Amino acid sequence: MRSLRRLTFALVVVLCGRVLSLPAQDVALPLNSGSVRFAAIGDMGTGEPAQYEVAQRMLQFHQVFPFTFVIMLGDNIYGGKSPDQLQKKFEIPYKPLLDAGVQFYGALGNHDDPNERFYKFMNMNGERYYSFKKGNVHFFALDSTYLDPKQLAWLEKELAAAGAGWKICYFHHPLYSSGAFHGSSTELRTVLEPLFVKYGVQVVFAGHEHVYERIKPQKGIYYFTEGASGELRAGNLKKTDLTAAGYDKDRSFLTLEVSGDDLYFQAVSRAGVTVDSGVIHRSMTVQASAP
Amino acid sequence: MAEAQVFREFTERVQRYMDLQKTLPRERTTRRPEEIADRRLALAQAIRQLRAGAKQGDIFTAAISEKFLGVIRNTLQGSAVRRTIRQGEPVANLHLTVNSAYPDHLPLTTIPPTLLVRLPRLPERMAYRIVGHDFVLEDTEARLIVDFIPGALP
Repeated sequence: MRSLRRLTFALVVVLCGRVLSLPAQDVALPLNSGSVRFAAIGDMGTGEPAQYEVAQRMLQFHQVFPFTFVIMLGDNIYGGKSPDQLQKKFEIPYKPLLDAGVQFYGALGNHDDPNERFYKFMNMNGERYYSFKKGNVHFFALDSTYLDPKQLAWLEKELAAAGAGWKICYFHHPLYSSGAFHGSSTELRTVLEPLFVKYGVQVVFAGHEHVYERIKPQKGIYYFTEGASGELRAGNLKKTDLTAAGYDKDRSFLTLEVSGDDLYFQAVSRAGVTVDSGVIHRSMTVQASAP
Repeated sequence: MAEAQVFREFTERVQRYMDLQKTLPRERTTRRPEEIADRRLALAQAIRQLRAGAKQGDIFTAAISEKFLGVIRNTLQGSAVRRTIRQGEPVANLHLTVNSAYPDHLPLTTIPPTLLVRLPRLPERMAYRIVGHDFVLEDTEARLIVDFIPGALP
C-alpha cells in the first residue's frame, strides 16, 4: 500500500456572519498531482441546521483538499419543492462551495422531484440518468426509483463504451446495506449487479439508509452508502458480515481522490472526525483503517 | 382480448395524450428554480384545460386495467418485489383524481424493475407510480396524475 501523506490543519472560517472555530483535522488523502478529487453526500436536503453544519465542514475540508465536484446520492430536496425551499435546502448551504467553483452532480432519490433534472446547478441536463467523465474516471448517475428497461439498456450501452478507466456508478437505493430501516435493495441488485460485474464497475455509491457504511467487496465491487449528510438514523447500522466499516452516530460525508489505479477515500463526520479511510487499488485489494 | 393487443391500445392512448400537448412550452434547464416551478405550473394548467373532461378510466379502460392488474398481481407474488415496494417508503393511500397534481412532498415508491419490464414502455416524461393501493400514470414534467387504477395493489 502506498503510504498516505497526512496533513494537519486548523481553520477558522467565517460563514453566514458567524465565526466558527474548527478543530484540527487530518486529511488522509494524498493530494497527488493530476488526481480526480470529489466528495459524496446523500440524503442531505433537509434545510435543517445539521445539513448546514455538514456543508460548513465540507467547506473547511475543501480548503485543504480542493475537491472540484460533489456527487449527490439522492434525496437532495426533502419535503416542499418550492423555489424558496430549493434555496434553503441546496443553494444556501452549499453557496460557499458553489462560489468556489465546485460542481454538483445530482442523482434522484425517492424524495426528489423529477424536475430537479432541469435545475442547472445539479448538472443533470434534463435527464433522469446520465454519465460524465472526469480524468480517467467515468461516472454513471442512475434513477434507482424507476429502473425501467430503457434506462437499463442505456446503462449497458454506456458501460460497454466507457473504455478502460475507472467506472463508478451512483444512485439512491443501496444494493447492499446493513441499515436496519431499509436494508439491501435485493431486487434492484438482481438487475444492476450483473451489468456492474460484466462491464467492470469498480465502485458504487448509494444513500437512502441514513448512515455511513462501507461494504466488503461483493463480486469484486466496492459499495459505499452515504445517506447521512443531512438526515441521520442514529444507531441504525446493525453491522453484519457485509460491513467493512460504518458510522451511525452523527452526520457525515465522503471525500475521494482517484489517482491512477488507486481510489482513496475518507469519511468525515459533522464534527470533523475521520470515521473511515483507506485506498482501493484497481487490482481489487483494499487497505483501510476505521477507528 | 390478447395482452399484446390491449397493451397496444394503452400505448396508443398514451400517445394521444402526448400528441395533445406537443405544442405546449416545455421545461428546460435553468439556474432559476422559480422558472422550473412556473413552467411546471403553466404546463399543468394548460394540460388541465386541454383535458378538461378527463376522468379515471380514460386511459386505463376496463379492459386495459384488467390486463394491468393481471401483470401487477402476478409480479407481486414475488417476495423480493413486495420488499422493493416496502423499501421505497410507500405512501399512505390518498384520494386521487385525474388532472390533480402529484403530491410532491411525498416520496416516490420504488417501482420494481421486474414489474416495469412486463408493462408497456412509456414516453420518457411519463412514469408509472404506486400511491397507496393505487397504480398511477404520472406526467413527470407537469407532475399531473394522468390516470390511475384504484385498488390495484393489495
